[in-house]
Amino acid sequence: MATTTVSQSSTTFSQSFYASLHEIAGGEKVRTCLQCGTCNGVCPYGYLMDYPPGKMVAALRAQRFERVTEADTVWMCVSCYACSEVCPVRIPLTAGLMTRAKEELLLAGNIPSELQVALENTQRYGNPLGESPRKRADWAKGVKPRVPIMSEERRPVDVLWFVGDYGSYHPRVQPVSRALANVLNALHVDFGILGAEEVSDGDSQRLAGERGLFEMLAAKNERALSQYEFKEIITGDPHAYNAFKNEYPKLGIVYPVRHYTEFLAERLDALKSLFKGEVNARVTYHDPCYLGRANDVFEAPRQLLSAIPGVELVEMPHNRTTSLCCGGGGGGMWMDGFHWEKAHTRLSEWRVREAMQVGADILAVACPYEAPRFEDATKVVPGASRLIVKDIAELLAEAMGD
Amino acid sequence: MAERVGVYICHCGTNIAGVVDVPEVTRWAGELPEVMIARDYKFMCSSLGQDLIEKDIKELGLTRIVVAACSPHMHEKTFRGAAQRAGLNPFLMEMANIRELDSWTTDDKEAATQKAKAMISGAIQRVLFHQPLELITVSINPNTLIVGGGIAGITAALELANAGYHVYMVEREPSIGGHMAQLDKTFPTLDCAACILTPRMVDVGQHPNITLLAYSEVESVEGYVGNFTVTVRKKASYVNEELCTGCGICEEKCPKKVVDQVFEAGIGTRKAVYRPFPQAVPKYPVIDRENCIYFQKGKCKACQIFCPTNAIDFEQQDRFIQFEVGNIIVATGYDPFDATRIPHYGFGRLPNVITSVQFERMVNASGPTGGRILLKDGTPPKSVGIIHCVGSRDENYNEYCSRVCCMYSLKFAHLVRERLPDAEVYNFYIDIRASGKRYEEFYHRVMMEGANMVRGRVAEVTDVARTADEEGKLIIQVYDTLLGEQRRIPVDMVILSVGVQPRKDARQVAQLFGLGCDFAGFFTERHPKLDPLLTMVEGIYIAGACQGPMAIPETVAQGAGAAARVAGMIGQGTVVMEPIKAHIDEERCSGCRICNNLCPYKAIVYHEDRQVSEAISALCQGCGTCVAACPSAAITGAHFTRRQLMAQVEGILLDVRQSMEASST
Ligand SMILES: Cc1cc2nc3c(=O)[nH]c(=O)nc-3n(C[C@H](O)[C@H](O)[C@H](O)COP(=O)(O)OP(=O)(O)OC[C@H]3O[C@@H](n4cnc5c(N)ncnc54)[C@H](O)[C@@H]3O)c2cc1C
Ligand code: SF4
Ligand code: SF4
Repeated sequence: MATTTVSQSSTTFSQSFYASLHEIAGGEKVRTCLQCGTCNGVCPYGYLMDYPPGKMVAALRAQRFERVTEADTVWMCVSCYACSEVCPVRIPLTAGLMTRAKEELLLAGNIPSELQVALENTQRYGNPLGESPRKRADWAKGVKPRVPIMSEERRPVDVLWFVGDYGSYHPRVQPVSRALANVLNALHVDFGILGAEEVSDGDSQRLAGERGLFEMLAAKNERALSQYEFKEIITGDPHAYNAFKNEYPKLGIVYPVRHYTEFLAERLDALKSLFKGEVNARVTYHDPCYLGRANDVFEAPRQLLSAIPGVELVEMPHNRTTSLCCGGGGGGMWMDGFHWEKAHTRLSEWRVREAMQVGADILAVACPYEAPRFEDATKVVPGASRLIVKDIAELLAEAMGD
Repeated sequence: MAERVGVYICHCGTNIAGVVDVPEVTRWAGELPEVMIARDYKFMCSSLGQDLIEKDIKELGLTRIVVAACSPHMHEKTFRGAAQRAGLNPFLMEMANIRELDSWTTDDKEAATQKAKAMISGAIQRVLFHQPLELITVSINPNTLIVGGGIAGITAALELANAGYHVYMVEREPSIGGHMAQLDKTFPTLDCAACILTPRMVDVGQHPNITLLAYSEVESVEGYVGNFTVTVRKKASYVNEELCTGCGICEEKCPKKVVDQVFEAGIGTRKAVYRPFPQAVPKYPVIDRENCIYFQKGKCKACQIFCPTNAIDFEQQDRFIQFEVGNIIVATGYDPFDATRIPHYGFGRLPNVITSVQFERMVNASGPTGGRILLKDGTPPKSVGIIHCVGSRDENYNEYCSRVCCMYSLKFAHLVRERLPDAEVYNFYIDIRASGKRYEEFYHRVMMEGANMVRGRVAEVTDVARTADEEGKLIIQVYDTLLGEQRRIPVDMVILSVGVQPRKDARQVAQLFGLGCDFAGFFTERHPKLDPLLTMVEGIYIAGACQGPMAIPETVAQGAGAAARVAGMIGQGTVVMEPIKAHIDEERCSGCRICNNLCPYKAIVYHEDRQVSEAISALCQGCGTCVAACPSAAITGAHFTRRQLMAQVEGILLDVRQSMEASST
């Protein structure tokens, strides 16, 4: 095999990429990689990636980064934070290395066509599903009392609810949004939504390498938000939560934000007094990557589930920091075909199998990507058709006799 | 003022001169009105450098010396010696630290040069007010306290006792022996730990020069080098040692079984009245009050009924014992890393995932399984995975390398194959660290014996099977970095090679003895290379794994080394102490007593009759706490008088002063 000659005179691609990592918080730690391989070992698709994170570091050190951008298996990364969680020298692998690599693939035009479509949709319509922006609040039709839309209310509210793309448009997630609206109403929370003024939070697009698009979306959301007065933002979408909590502030967009499970866990007593019925079921909870590993919210969702009368909460072998990715992160939501072609299995199926293994009746979720993904998986995994997938908001609403 | 000052500026090779413009500083110093002569030299601390100073003192009649060089920690003694040899009182020499505090802190040459001038100017102004002082000599009590009876403490105790000195050994557990007593065989020679350890334990127990205080803890330490007063709490064991013969009938008859979390690491049991292991030293059992049926329910007393010598005494109380020692060796050892902190390795959740310490007990013939390697269901494993670096080399837990795990993991591979020749063994490692004597050879031997070495740090241990051959197994998921592939390896048993970390109460122990701890919590030595045994406190030494992770050979070397240092001190008979003491001016003391409780050495007494406080100079360590606290400014610290300090501050502010003077004219 011929050895690659390393250019001494001008900066190589590897060198400039390496240097660019230093601009990310903690990115310089890549220098201390031990080549222990833990990241590659824990990665849910590590078995078929040409360059899982640790090997990507090795390629960088050997000045062979071109090879990484030629491999399309970088697109198998679902930005699940599993590698970042276990790296012994705490290299920001997910937010740093993998995301930067995807940016390079995008620039090189090495991009699955499905992902291309989702990114173009976002560009054109402000959401990856290609839905009309005018219909963004359509899900709320029929909710009583009515879901207040900020542009119509023209008054300060306590809570601004950022509904997100899937909560607004996806037929399986719209009922989750309605359930959450009912819970908020029952608790007499003074809230409002942006409606047609809201656009995608852009976090998954960012993790799929489209940083420019992300910044544009952030600016649009900020334009809408800055017109209104509210005390805090809540959201049902952990990806939006991550954007508001960790990414928007870097662009100067700073609002206090909580996931709805954190918001509701603070009102546990009030909630308990509203429960009318029981949910008699063995329930297991799936920690979403962007609520759990990425942002350390593990207990609030469990507190809510445990508070529901009749619920027996059981843990799957992989829980909390070791939770298994549903496969939807980092653009995975828009690359199902591509992932299937490479892996001939879906990550969501492993999750459903574990839920079955612990004898759960209900698989509870807290992220809008998950209900549709896991429900699809229950149809493929043998014997899993009896497993019910529900968002925590739906279970709460149900216990309130909704 | 008629003092004749000499200023000596060291280049320290390029350490100082690479940043500070030494010739310029020398020129500047030579022009100062107070200064008679200023010289620079490549290495002031060399004998030629010292000669320069001595010669000038004699020939020019210098009365004050300033040496601008490194930290006084390094060379204050050297230059005081030079002054003394030339007939000048050594306390009339002052150092300006222009290395650690200046040249090593910056690349900015101009700023460094300016700072060097300021610091030298401070030293000159200060030294003008210095007074000649005489060193104080105190005698050294020949007794020694050793805290911790692991192999480090045992070694130190026997060295000193055999040399004819008396030792008090304080051990927290009912028996001495430490972790080494738990081990089966020891790398790299594979000799049996008990065979080499227990004779030494017996020696400690029987030695006429050793007072063994087991099941005891140090309550307080007062005093200073040569003269410490120690108070020890001997915990009530409810067994009268005068009467007990160590026959063990009480243990046999006690109806209460307890899981032994300490010696058996949670995989074996003991009774409520127990000795941790049969060869325990001392031989007396103790009653564990928390688990004793009599203490908890008021009924039982089986041990008392059956004891042939009537040694059980339920009325026994904790006792306090006080004694004097001249030196102290702290050898409190380490704790194993708590494997439950790493959720993805499944310890505590998956039954056949065990820690290395548990495995040591399991393979030990006197352990709970009689030396058989068994799964929870009582059958032997057909395959065993050994995971290195658990909790070590990981910034999420302990960043450092625990140094012993690679070797004991290889030892385990050998032991598994020795007991179960048909079993497959896998060692998962990041790097093999086999840097000790005969370690590399041991590594080769274990590979020859058939261990499967997999280079990669394990990502997870799970019981979630993906294929039929994984059913019912523990699956080790790892990226084999040499093969460049993710692998899932099904095994029956997983051993987690947990690292070595500071005792969980290390910081409290450090506080008790006035020691420092490093970032992780290991005790800090005086110098990492040149003085690994002495601490920052004169007369207190550290040895063994309380100082950092180390294997038995180094631990023993440290124990013996600390003993040699102590023996040297005792042989000296006396020790000189800095005359830096607090003095309370009775005329100014208002009797407010603020200083009385602040003194960490309890060196201040209050005279009720005269209503004034007095600092006892034999006890005072010169820390200066009282000096700063006194609201009446009645306390002076010798060699740190207000006048000296103010003069130094003014000197340092030379720049400011000059520019203020310039602008006012
Ligand atoms: C699984 C495992 C296997 C190992 N195998 C080997 C091997 O094969 N070969 C090898 O060379 N090394 C081996 N080691 C390393 C070995 O255990 C250490 O080198 C050695 O035990 C260190 O001895 P020590 O006396 O410093 O500390 P310790 O053994 O920890 O002894 C300290 C003693 O101090 C007592 N103590 C603690 N605090 C106090 C207190 N405040 N007051 C009074 N007493 C106190 C403790 O009870 C204990 O008796 C192994 C280590 C592990 C974890
Ligand atoms: S973020 Fe997840 S998918 Fe991406 S490399 Fe890391 S472990 Fe693999
Ligand atoms: S886990 Fe961290 S240190 Fe280990 S190979 Fe991956 S990036 Fe490098």
